[in-house]
Amino acid sequence: MVEYIVRRTLQMIVVFFIFLVSSYLLFNAIPGNAFSNLLLNPNLPPDAYQKVLETYGLDKPLFERVQLYVVNFFKGDFGYSYKYFPKTPIELIAERLPRTLMLFSVVNIVAFYTGFFIGKVLAWRRGSKSETWITITSVFSYTVFYPWFALMMLWFFGYKMGWFPIGKFLYPEKWYDAPFDSDVIFAMMIKFVLVVSLIQFAAYTVTRGIESLSSRRNIRFLSLIAIFIGSYFYWNTGEALSRKPYAADIAYHMILPVLVVTIVAFAGTALLTRTTMMEVLKEDYILTARAKGISQKRIRDRHAARTALLPVVTSFIFTIVTIIDGSVLTEQIFSWPGMGQLLLQAVLEEDIPVAMASFSFVGVFALLAHLIADISYSYLDPRIRVKSQG
Amino acid sequence: MSKDILIVDNLNMHYETLEGKVMAVNNVTFSVKEGESFGLVGESGCGKSSVAATLLQLQSDNAVISSGSIKLDNQELVGMTESDLRKVRWNDISIVFQGAMNAWNPVIKIGEQIREAIREHHPNNTKKENTDKISELFKIVGLDDSIMDRFPHELSGGMKQRAVIALALSCDPKIVIADEPTTALDVVIQDQILKEIKKVQELLGLSLIYISHDIAVIAEMTDNMAVMYAGSIVEKGPTASIFSNPKHAYTRLLLESTPSVVGEKKKLRALDGEPPSLINGLEGCAFSPRCPEPSDDCKSKKLDMSLIEIENGHWADQCCVNCG
Ligand SMILES: Nc1ncnc2c1ncn2[C@@H]1O[C@H](COP(=O)(O)OP(=O)(O)OP(=O)(O)O)[C@@H](O)[C@H]1O
Ligand code: SF4
Ligand SMILES: [Mg+2]
Repeated sequence: MVEYIVRRTLQMIVVFFIFLVSSYLLFNAIPGNAFSNLLLNPNLPPDAYQKVLETYGLDKPLFERVQLYVVNFFKGDFGYSYKYFPKTPIELIAERLPRTLMLFSVVNIVAFYTGFFIGKVLAWRRGSKSETWITITSVFSYTVFYPWFALMMLWFFGYKMGWFPIGKFLYPEKWYDAPFDSDVIFAMMIKFVLVVSLIQFAAYTVTRGIESLSSRRNIRFLSLIAIFIGSYFYWNTGEALSRKPYAADIAYHMILPVLVVTIVAFAGTALLTRTTMMEVLKEDYILTARAKGISQKRIRDRHAARTALLPVVTSFIFTIVTIIDGSVLTEQIFSWPGMGQLLLQAVLEEDIPVAMASFSFVGVFALLAHLIADISYSYLDPRIRVKSQG
Repeated sequence: MSKDILIVDNLNMHYETLEGKVMAVNNVTFSVKEGESFGLVGESGCGKSSVAATLLQLQSDNAVISSGSIKLDNQELVGMTESDLRKVRWNDISIVFQGAMNAWNPVIKIGEQIREAIREHHPNNTKKENTDKISELFKIVGLDDSIMDRFPHELSGGMKQRAVIALALSCDPKIVIADEPTTALDVVIQDQILKEIKKVQELLGLSLIYISHDIAVIAEMTDNMAVMYAGSIVEKGPTASIFSNPKHAYTRLLLESTPSVVGEKKKLRALDGEPPSLINGLEGCAFSPRCPEPSDDCKSKKLDMSLIEIENGHWADQCCVNCG
C-alpha cells in the first residue's frame, strides 16, 4: 500500500512537471507574446519593469526561461499582479483558493453521495414506477446544458422566489464592520468540516472491529450524537460564537450553487451506479449472501453497492479534471469570487502573472484531487492493493 | 431407523417466460433422512438446480411454485414469510452453489464473509467464539487459519471451494445442499474436493443432498439417489439398488453411457438426442423420443407416469416398469 502511494505520487510529480512546462509554453504561444507585452504596458511602474524582466528572464532564450519559471514556481515567486500591483499572485490565490476549495469539495461530496445513493436505490427497485421516473429525470439533468440550467435556477430561486441571494458572494452590509476577514471564517469552516469528518471516519473505523452488529450500530449512533453536541458547543462558545453569523452568511450563499451543481452532477454518478449495480446483483455472491439469510438492506449496501462502487469511483476520478472548467463557469454564474473567477479575469485582462499562477495552482489542485481519489480507489479494491504489494 | 429431516412432497414449480411456462420441477417427491447422503442426478437442464433453489426458497423472481410442500424438520417452507425464511436459511439449510468459485464477494475477506453468516444467526457470539468456530471448520476442510485474512482472489480454485464448504457448515445446518460443487475445478482437485465432502459428511453425520450430472460421482458419494429427467423424478431409491437393478430406460442408458464405476466393463452407449424443451409441459413419457426400446404403449397412449415401488424403497416410473 505504502509502495503504491509512493509510486503514484512520483508519477504525479512527473505529470506535474510536464503540466508546468506545457502551460508555460502555452502562455508563451499567445499571439504577440504575452510576456513581452507585459513590458510594453504603459501602466507598468519603472521599478516593476526591471523586476518583471528579471523574474521571467525575458531577455534569455526559451529553454532558460522555462527553467527559470519552474524554479520560480517552487520558490512561490510569480512576480506581481499587473492589475492589483503591488499584490503578488500568491497573495491573491491565498485569498481565493479557500473559497473554491470549500465550494467544490462540498459540491463534489454532496453530488457524489446523492448520485451513489440514488443509483443504488434505482438498481434495487428495478422495474418499479419510481425507478422509471427518477431515471428519466436523471437522464434529463445529465444531458441538460449546464449554464442555461444554472441561470434558470438562479432566476427561479433567486429572483422569482427570492429565497437565495443573487449576484453576491456575501452580504456586504453584514461584513462592512466585521472584525475579521471573510477568509478567516472560510479557513475556520474548512477546519471544522475536516475535523468532523475525521472524527466520523475514526468512529467508523474503530467500530468495524465490534462483532455484534447491534452494538456496532448503537455506538456509531452515539458517536453521531456526540458530534452534534460537540458542534453545538463549539459554535456557541468563545471565539466561534462571535463568528457564527458570518459563517452562517457564507453557508447561506453556498446553498444555491451547491444545489444547482449537485442536480447537474449527481446524474452521471447515479446512472452509472444503477448500471453497475444491476450487473453486480446478478452475481453469484449476491445469491450466496441471500442464502446466508442476510438482511436485504445489508445485501444492498454491504455486498452489492460496495462492489458497484469501484467503477463509479473510477469514472469520478476522471471527472475531477472537469473541476477546472466547472469552477470557471459556476463561479461566474453564481458570482463566487474564487479561483475560477480569478483565472477568468486574469486571462481576459491579460494579467499574465496571475493567470499563470492560478492556472498552475488549479492544475496542482486537480492533480492532488486525482491522487487522493486514486489512493482511495486502491483502498477500496483489494485486488489493486495486493498487486502493488507483490 | 433415523427420521426424515427433509420431506419434499409433490412439488411443482415453473418459470414464467415470454415463450410460455418452463415446467422445471414437476411432481417432485423425495425425502432425505438424518445423516444420509442423497444424490440427485440428471443431464444438464433437467431442473436439478431449480429443485435446489426452491428448497431454500431462493428461486428467481419469475419462478412460481404452483403446488407442493417442502418440510424441513417439520417446518413448512413453501409460503413462509421472508423474515422467517431468513432465519431458516443457513441456520437450518445451507447450499454450495454450482458456481461456487464465484460465491465470494471479491472485496470482502474470506473470514469476514463466513463471520457474517454466523453473526446473522448467532448475534450474541463474541469475536473469539466466531474465530474459533471458523478455525475449527478450516481444520476440517484442510485450510490454514491464515486464509481468514485473505481476499478471494488470493486463493486457488480448490482453496476457494474448501472455504465454501466451511462456509456452508458455519451455522451447523441440519442439511447441506451441494449443487455440482466441483464443476469449475480440474480433475485432480475435483477428486480431492469430493473426498473432502465425503469425509466431512461422515465425520459430522451430515445430511447432504448432492447434485451432479455425473452418475459415477453419485455412486461414490451417496446412500440414496433420485434420477431426474425433464423436471420429473423418474427413478429413486437406494443407490446400490439402482445401480444393480436400474428400472427406468433413462437410468439404464445413463449407466451405460458412463465409464463403468461398478462391476465389469461394458460397452459404452451414447445417449443420443437433445433433452426435451420444458416449455408448456409434456404429455406422457418425456423420454420416449430418445428411448432405445419404447413399447407401442409408451408412444401413443397417455400414460400413468406416477412412481411405483418395485422393491424396498426403490421406486420407478410406473409405465416404464410395466413395459420394460
Ligand atoms: N430464471 C429462469 N427463467 C426461465 N427459465 C429458467 C430459469 N432458470 C432455469 N430455467 C430453465 O429451467 C430448466 C431447468 O434449469 P436448471 O438450472 O434447474 O437445470 P439443471 O439441472 O441445474 O442444469 P445444469 O446441470 O446445467 O445446472 C432449464 O431448461 C433452464 O433453461
Ligand atoms: S416409458 Fe417407455 S418410452 Fe418412456 S422411457 Fe420407459 S420405455 Fe422408454
Ligand atoms: Mg444446475
